Amino acid sequence: MTRTRIMYVVIIALALAFPYITPDPDFWVSSGGTRALWLGVAALSMSFLNRNLGLMSLGQLFFSGVTGYIVAISSVYHNVKFGTSVPLAIVAGTLSGVIIGYIALKTKGVYFFMLTLAVSLGLYAFANQAQEITHGHTGINSIPSPIIFGMDFAYVKPLYYLFLAIAVVLFSLCKFLEGTSFGIALKGVRDNEDRMISMGYRTMPLKMIAFVFSSFIASIAGVMGVFYVTNISPDSVGLLRSIDLLVIVVVGGATYLGGAFVGAALIAVFEAIIQDFTQYYIAATGILFIVVLMLAPQGLMGIAAQIRARRSNKVGA
Amino acid sequence: MTQFIFTFLNGITLAGLYFLVASGLTLIFGLMRVINLAHGAFYLLAGYVSWTVADKTDNWFYGAVAGALTLGVFGTLVYVLLLRKFQYEELRVALITLGVSLVLAQAMLAIFGGEYYQTNIPDSLANAIPVPGLGLSYPFFRIFVLILAILVAIGLWAFISKTRYGAIIRAGVDDTTMVSALGINVQAVFIWIFFLGSLLVGFAGAVGATTNSFGMGTDGDYLLFSLQVVIIGGLGSVGGVAIGSFLVGVIGQFAVGYFPTYAGIITFTMLILVLAFRPQGILGRKQ
Repeated sequence: MTRTRIMYVVIIALALAFPYITPDPDFWVSSGGTRALWLGVAALSMSFLNRNLGLMSLGQLFFSGVTGYIVAISSVYHNVKFGTSVPLAIVAGTLSGVIIGYIALKTKGVYFFMLTLAVSLGLYAFANQAQEITHGHTGINSIPSPIIFGMDFAYVKPLYYLFLAIAVVLFSLCKFLEGTSFGIALKGVRDNEDRMISMGYRTMPLKMIAFVFSSFIASIAGVMGVFYVTNISPDSVGLLRSIDLLVIVVVGGATYLGGAFVGAALIAVFEAIIQDFTQYYIAATGILFIVVLMLAPQGLMGIAAQIRARRSNKVGA
Repeated sequence: MTQFIFTFLNGITLAGLYFLVASGLTLIFGLMRVINLAHGAFYLLAGYVSWTVADKTDNWFYGAVAGALTLGVFGTLVYVLLLRKFQYEELRVALITLGVSLVLAQAMLAIFGGEYYQTNIPDSLANAIPVPGLGLSYPFFRIFVLILAILVAIGLWAFISKTRYGAIIRAGVDDTTMVSALGINVQAVFIWIFFLGSLLVGFAGAVGATTNSFGMGTDGDYLLFSLQVVIIGGLGSVGGVAIGSFLVGVIGQFAVGYFPTYAGIITFTMLILVLAFRPQGILGRKQ
């Protein structure tokens, strides 16, 4: 326990110092750090569901997209202040999780995966078609940056620290929830739902709370995306973006909460390095994804455990 | 009235195309529990292959055969090299196929660029037929697609439920070990199924490349259509795909024709409604 605690302290210290120790901070803080934190939070909403309910969702961008579009449209076209639009949008995104969750949670495994994929593709189609609302393919551009207590988050470092704070809070919240009796009951549902039912648990409310909580995280990621990218278009919720998140979760390690951030950091660095050869980026991620799935299904976070297991197997044999 | 009839004709012929596209997906899933999320990319690849061949040989039918066969072989290779080892881990297989679709999409973009293509309708099918009572005519090729879909539907149904091979396949899915013990090579059966399913999507790609233009992004669109069709109709059932295609095709066309802004939402609401009452789809077996 103390060892993990020391590890957390070291990671947070490194993250705090990152803007001051990285070479070429103008580039790496934004394209590496801030980007990784944003993608990491989005991926965290997937990891949380996968880890605690055993469900892999591709619909998280639906919630991010609903939230992001509400913030973007209200601030650019209706002059609504972020102080009003952001909380409302997060509530709307989270509540849309109630509707989607009610339907999606009736399914499991690959059905759940497909259904949530269809959900996010549905929003993509809507964003493309409903030109009067979403401005179709052009999307909504030049969304202003927030100014909180006189601090302008258009600057690179304030935005980085804001995102870091959000990431730490949400990660701790997930960890906290997993330790409560609710979290333990969730793991019971994941491992054997029938047994939980026969023990007298009503499993649907448990699953709903977990799902809605994950859509809450995804909604926050949606706001982060709007502030980081400063525009939103159908591509922000498109299939490729969803797959990006999936790659992050799987490469980082889908059964570890930290895997979301490990994967996000890796992908952000990978994207930043390869951006001069963008035409190969997608194919390269695709190949990386296939290789990880075939050789290390537990992802980077799981590689140590995988090696250990293999070694003890050999000793046992 | 005219708009209504034409919208309906467009819808039902589009449903024919959707059926051709989604039947391969459901065949593979229904019999092997393997969900191929590279299905949209397979469709698009078949479009490019058939377009190229039809363009070079000036013969639509060569293009269609080339598209179907290329995809049959390609799909089989994907199955044997990447999926077979994990066949019983549904989600892992689905994820791997998603990786395949990424690589494929990028490769196709690199080769064919961002332009859109459309294969020419063969001269023998290029005429238009009159719509009774309206004095207007409708392109015969689209009717031809619907006829093809109906023929494939009957063929698939007969193959699976009436032939010895169909019986072996159904048995192999229910109890692989038992069927192997009877001396049947189940691995070979699975390879043939994957070949047949990919062949179907290859053929659908060749047909779809003729009725609609295709290019970058078409893979995602058709993956969405196929998923809608199989989710609504019920995964693994040929009849379900027929019902799903009909609903998605016809209702989708009416939505596009009458409420273009909300077309995406309307099909989507239909999907949600079906699932709220029947999570396994209209004809799906309970999970």
